[in-house]
Amino acid sequence: MKLRRSLIAVGAIAALSAAVVAGCAPSEGGGDGDGDTSSPGVALTIAKPDGAITTESHNPYLGDSSASKYGYAKVIFEPLALVNPTGDLGTTPWLAESVEWNEDYTELTVVPRSGVQWSDGTEFTGDDIVFTFDQFLNGTLTDTSGLNYEGASVDGDEITLSFADSKYTAQSRVLHTPIVPQHIWENIEDPNTDPLTGEGMAVGTGPYVLDVWSTESVTLTANESYWGGELAVPQLNYISYGDNAALTTALVSGEADWAQAFIPQIESSYLAADENNHFLVSSTAGAGTVFFNLQTKPFNDLAMRQALAWVIDRQAYVDIAREGASEPIWSVTGLGTLLEGEILPQYADQSYAVDVDKARQILTDAGYTWENESLIDPDGEAVSFSISVPAGWSDWNTEQALIAEELKEALGIEVRVDQPDWGGWDMARQEGDFQAIIHWLEDTGNAYGLYTSTMDPKWIVDDRAQFNFGRFEDPAVTEALNGYANAASDEDRQQALEVLQTAFVENVPAIPLGAHPLLGEYNTRNYVGFPTEEDQYASADPTQPAIVQILTNLEPAS
Amino acid sequence: MTGVQPQLAELDTDALEVGTTATSADGGRARVPWRYLGRRAAFYLFTLWAAITINFFLRRMMKGDAVSQYLSRNRNVSPEAADALRTLLGLDSDKSLLEQYLDYWVLLAQGDLGISLLHGLRPVTEVVSGALPWTIGLVGVATIFSFAIGTVGGAVVGWRRGSRADALIPITTFLSTIPYFWLGLLAIAVFSVNLGWFPIGKAYGVGMRPGWNAEFIGQVLHHGALPIATIVVASLGGWMLGMRNMMLTVLDEDYITVAQAKGMPNQRVLWGYAARNAVLPQIQSFALSIGFIVGGSIVMEMVFSYPGIGKLLLDATNAKDYALMQGVFLVITISVLVANILADIVYAFLDPRTRQAGV
Repeated sequence: MKLRRSLIAVGAIAALSAAVVAGCAPSEGGGDGDGDTSSPGVALTIAKPDGAITTESHNPYLGDSSASKYGYAKVIFEPLALVNPTGDLGTTPWLAESVEWNEDYTELTVVPRSGVQWSDGTEFTGDDIVFTFDQFLNGTLTDTSGLNYEGASVDGDEITLSFADSKYTAQSRVLHTPIVPQHIWENIEDPNTDPLTGEGMAVGTGPYVLDVWSTESVTLTANESYWGGELAVPQLNYISYGDNAALTTALVSGEADWAQAFIPQIESSYLAADENNHFLVSSTAGAGTVFFNLQTKPFNDLAMRQALAWVIDRQAYVDIAREGASEPIWSVTGLGTLLEGEILPQYADQSYAVDVDKARQILTDAGYTWENESLIDPDGEAVSFSISVPAGWSDWNTEQALIAEELKEALGIEVRVDQPDWGGWDMARQEGDFQAIIHWLEDTGNAYGLYTSTMDPKWIVDDRAQFNFGRFEDPAVTEALNGYANAASDEDRQQALEVLQTAFVENVPAIPLGAHPLLGEYNTRNYVGFPTEEDQYASADPTQPAIVQILTNLEPAS
Repeated sequence: MTGVQPQLAELDTDALEVGTTATSADGGRARVPWRYLGRRAAFYLFTLWAAITINFFLRRMMKGDAVSQYLSRNRNVSPEAADALRTLLGLDSDKSLLEQYLDYWVLLAQGDLGISLLHGLRPVTEVVSGALPWTIGLVGVATIFSFAIGTVGGAVVGWRRGSRADALIPITTFLSTIPYFWLGLLAIAVFSVNLGWFPIGKAYGVGMRPGWNAEFIGQVLHHGALPIATIVVASLGGWMLGMRNMMLTVLDEDYITVAQAKGMPNQRVLWGYAARNAVLPQIQSFALSIGFIVGGSIVMEMVFSYPGIGKLLLDATNAKDYALMQGVFLVITISVLVANILADIVYAFLDPRTRQAGV
């Protein structure tokens, strides 16, 4: 969400300043930038727009350590396997030679990769894997991923990790757990918070090792003994710029090479500056979604929600609000193209479209009327509602305005655009004190994510919602959700999916607008082999675990 | 000071010469105004207590929850783990507000400001001390430059009223009305991107190891030049206008006319008599602005990707990182108070009128 927060004004300036910059390119990489000569062996600079990161912590388990904020934890500590959040959604074994789930996804069997060394020279073994997971068991490490790990058993080469419940919907949470060296971590008192700043502490199996950490940048050099073979890039620099505008300037000038950022008017401000500049949008199973409050007027009426589904223009969301960096979702099942395989045959051809006549017909049938072109509900009151998104999330703020315009014009509904600060919005969504909001989905890499996010009462604890903000509740659906998550076989899962999809189509508890994308800006001046539109073996987002896969795939540009 | 009384310290000047109306309260030696200082000290202690208390309660009035913020920042964390997280972040306390308030004072007295959620659970003192030197260095130097150039310039412009130098006033005022981020982006576009004279931002280059060596210091100066220059340009107008206006008032005073009638050299009248009196309000504002240096400059930090307190506070507020917010507010509060005390003391010595009431 961080990236969305840049103010519209700043965005406009970014475009403006970048236009100035673009007008006078190619420059020689401002000042002391060292990544601009196109000979092989130059450093690759990965940039973020998060402001100076002045506190040092290499802890991979802490969301806000410098290692996690920059993302360099991902090139030091490697996971068992990489789950592709886009493309084919496939799993690539990484530190394990093979990973295999049992039928009901409660047990994971892994074979540790042989011939792997920790960067301090110690050999990597299966004990390290068991130790890593056992930290969750004995409570030294807080189980922030909700793994409910129960223990491991070792049988020759094979290690079997057991979990209390099915991990079908949380495979990547298990597989992406960073594996840490037992010989170092067993001496750490509190692995939750330890910054690993001592000599010889930040040791992993990854392709790069820490060289210099300063408040301005972090430098890592290639791990000589890396198991994955020779690395094309000898040095990685991580830099964090003050905001999106500064990041864009750096990307355009070549001072930074690789980033994940929402850049306004990217075509003119970044892509036009150099033919080697590339921008890859990778759709994921998540989506920007309009959630309705199903408990109050006007959205306690199904006809109202259905009518909206036939009026809101998802293409406009993608083209205008997201400036192309997304993919519209039209299917009545709420699933995007990435999850097409999970759409049931009976819904395969059923898609929403912008069809005002149809929407008006639905409302008329439900007893709504119009008076002076404004919609009157069956109780005789004019229909109006507010749609709420935190101020400064510029893409969704634009979508608010678009929806307000569309509904006013097509149905005569007065939509109030509400832009509170984060705190107020957060409170309202948790306590159900709203009429409509735009929110993200829990991404599980399959259809379950959408349905649990919109219809599952398990998210409501102590009357506070983490998802299912509209408070949908239907025992049959709840049962199907649990059935899907804990299914013992694919057939059971398919049966549960039928119930879920039908319930979603019939009830329209929420309207997904467009796929949540992973973004990546990179240039191919010095290195090639990044994921492309045609070959999305990973997303081009350098903060994702798959960065190790990309780095081992890079080759010097000829 | 000119050399009228070379043996005496600056504070020992005769009241008559500096143009005060106090004729008898102060003898040849300036007394330390104890009663006056004592009353001020009591006042400041009370202010400090009030500020810290408000600081404590203010954040409890803010809407929103640190844990849900943490979850929205880190989507790889399962929302189901919210409770575990609350324990990890130390937010599961069910103590009463009064107990928390007392604990807060105890910890404060031990120099323990808590841990920052936003910065990898490191102690707040470490987080703040990582950013503070950069802010003090950069904004401090810029403020001193701006004050010095503005005050001297304002004095000269005021002295030569009606000459062509007057044009400096509208020019500098105009420059300070330009939104700072625009000025900064323009400076980057021209001097960094086009001309390549300065780096685009940051405090020093990539892969640099901080240390007291020529290369590192050179880099810091090189990287700091553009931010300092833009801050000076943007804030010069206020200092210059203030000084020039005071000069115009002072120049109409009788003692200036007398000094000039006596045939005193213009330079001496300008610096020793006119500017010396006109500068008093400037010094007051300068002391106050020293307090605000610590607040940093959020826009500068964002435009130039410079480390500092401003962005730290902004992010902490957005993320409901209460411990860090309190820590930063505390530092700001204390430095504003210290600056006020300094201003009071300096003033008490420079201008005997201020302490007359207490005598």
